[in-house]
Amino acid sequence: MNQPPPPSSPPPPSPAAASGAQIVDRGFQRYDGPRAGVGQAIRSVSWQSIRSTLGLGRPARHKIFPVLAIAIAYVPAITFVGLSVIVGDILDPNEIADYAGYYGFITAAILLFAGLVAPEVLVGDRRNGMLAMYLSTPLKRSTYLVAKVVAVLLTLALVTLGPPLLLLIGYTFENAGPDGPGDWLVVLLRIFMSAFAVCGALTAVSMAAASLTDRRAFASIGVVLLALASPAVASALVEGAELSPNWRLIDVFSMPFELVFRIFGEPGNFPELSTLSVVAVNLGWTLGGIAVVVWRYSRLVVAR
Amino acid sequence: MSAIIETSDLVMEFPSTRALDGLDVRVPSGVTGLVGANGAGKTTLISLVLGLLQPTSGTVRVLGLDPSIDGPRLRAMIGYGPERNVLPDDMQAYDFVRHFAQVRGLPHDEARSRASDSLYLVGLGEERFRALGTMSTGQRQRVKLAQAIAADPSLIVLDEPTDGLDPVQRDEMLSIIVDVNRKFGIDVMLSSHVLEEVERICDHVVALDAGRLVAQGSMTELAGALGGVEVELVDLADLPGSIDAVERQLLDRGVVVRRLDFSLSVSGATDDELFNAVVGAVASAGARVKTLGRRRRTLDDVFTSDIVASGQPEGAS
Repeated sequence: MNQPPPPSSPPPPSPAAASGAQIVDRGFQRYDGPRAGVGQAIRSVSWQSIRSTLGLGRPARHKIFPVLAIAIAYVPAITFVGLSVIVGDILDPNEIADYAGYYGFITAAILLFAGLVAPEVLVGDRRNGMLAMYLSTPLKRSTYLVAKVVAVLLTLALVTLGPPLLLLIGYTFENAGPDGPGDWLVVLLRIFMSAFAVCGALTAVSMAAASLTDRRAFASIGVVLLALASPAVASALVEGAELSPNWRLIDVFSMPFELVFRIFGEPGNFPELSTLSVVAVNLGWTLGGIAVVVWRYSRLVVAR
Repeated sequence: MSAIIETSDLVMEFPSTRALDGLDVRVPSGVTGLVGANGAGKTTLISLVLGLLQPTSGTVRVLGLDPSIDGPRLRAMIGYGPERNVLPDDMQAYDFVRHFAQVRGLPHDEARSRASDSLYLVGLGEERFRALGTMSTGQRQRVKLAQAIAADPSLIVLDEPTDGLDPVQRDEMLSIIVDVNRKFGIDVMLSSHVLEEVERICDHVVALDAGRLVAQGSMTELAGALGGVEVELVDLADLPGSIDAVERQLLDRGVVVRRLDFSLSVSGATDDELFNAVVGAVASAGARVKTLGRRRRTLDDVFTSDIVASGQPEGAS
């Protein structure tokens, strides 16, 4: 009768065992590790909203508007920097476009973005039920809105902050930038303040419009109409009806850009307006827009 | 047994309707079915449990916390699968599940791996990078379940999780839900208007009707063996009076008989005596039996005959 040979020595370890490597198929398990707080939830919702708005991870048709707006915003800056490289010796690029005046070249991009971004970020969630999904997580209405405001601000900053920054960096490399590090930092600070002023007012106004309707197109059209109509109405009142120049302040689209001129210490397009009134009206539009959004969302019945 | 959800005299009024009317509910650990017709108040109760709505009066406590005070802390421990089709068409299933795992507090890397694990658990491992818009209703329901469990909650609340599924998909979904509870110890509350599926998988039931509590308790308390025998007979064309004959013979033996069309519900003696009586009566009348078994009370009975007809809300436990 054949007997199996007695084990003489343990079998040699496999190469994987010798190296300590192993294949672990964990599968679904309970999780008892650390958990992040509401801050991560806000970041995650903001980032997801930005990705969605820019069409990242979505079919090509969703990328058309963002790419168009970004192109309109950056092409002038790239052109001006290019000009400073080519003809910088005979022409001061700052005479073509200074930092405060740059926004005049990209008004269309900013308008397009302001009209597109906030409705995309806010309206969809209310219509398709994602708002209830988000509010079933650690997010509250207030923290959800913070996430969305951050998303709109950062997305608008792509067209309000990026191009002037590119201009500053390009001019600096071509020795056409501010004189010395001190001036350079002042210009940098002014660029950030300007971008924040434009973003703040437009974010608040466009989010207010987006909070009032459940139709994305209506919100976008509302923002664009407001941006186009308010300068016309202001002009009609001041120039046509010869009312006080202060009626310019109802021009919701021009006032943020007027504030940019004041930040750069320039008289702007409406020198008859005091800087204080320009600051106040921008603050008013920003706070008013935020108040509308908060009011609307506090009254919203969200079930399931 | 400690309650995971407890409400006391809970009232929820909307401008035009009183959706919940003095609800006292106690949901223990396990799989609990929230049943009732459309408009019974199921979704309103779920919304209150999640803190999406503030009650008009009364209290709610979920996992020992008050949703209106400890909402964010509580909701970090709850997964929610909504009834509505909320999934964004352009997004991949994996991205959707990972995103909500992160929003519910999982660190980035953990959210990534658990998104995959959850999708594998619900049977969508190979499909996880597909856009949600290209998925079938059954697959989308599974994605909703995957996102509900990905952050490893203590409790998941599923609103009509089998809605729109065919019978095979429904069986699979119910089986996964049971696994989530039995294998991983995650408590489940699911709403459904299909009583049969609740009866099949739930340990406990909360039954609502028009915003009022109809019944609550364990499945064995509410539905199960009643004592007695139920026989369903075939209506024979060549023996038109056979069912009447069976009924008459049973009544002659002194047992209680309730007849509904071709079914006879027989009680009033021991089960063995009743089986013998039924078999004897059927043989004597020449009738043909379709089904024969012990009498059971179903959830349908709870709704239709015993409680709703009496108009008296009742708490079985």
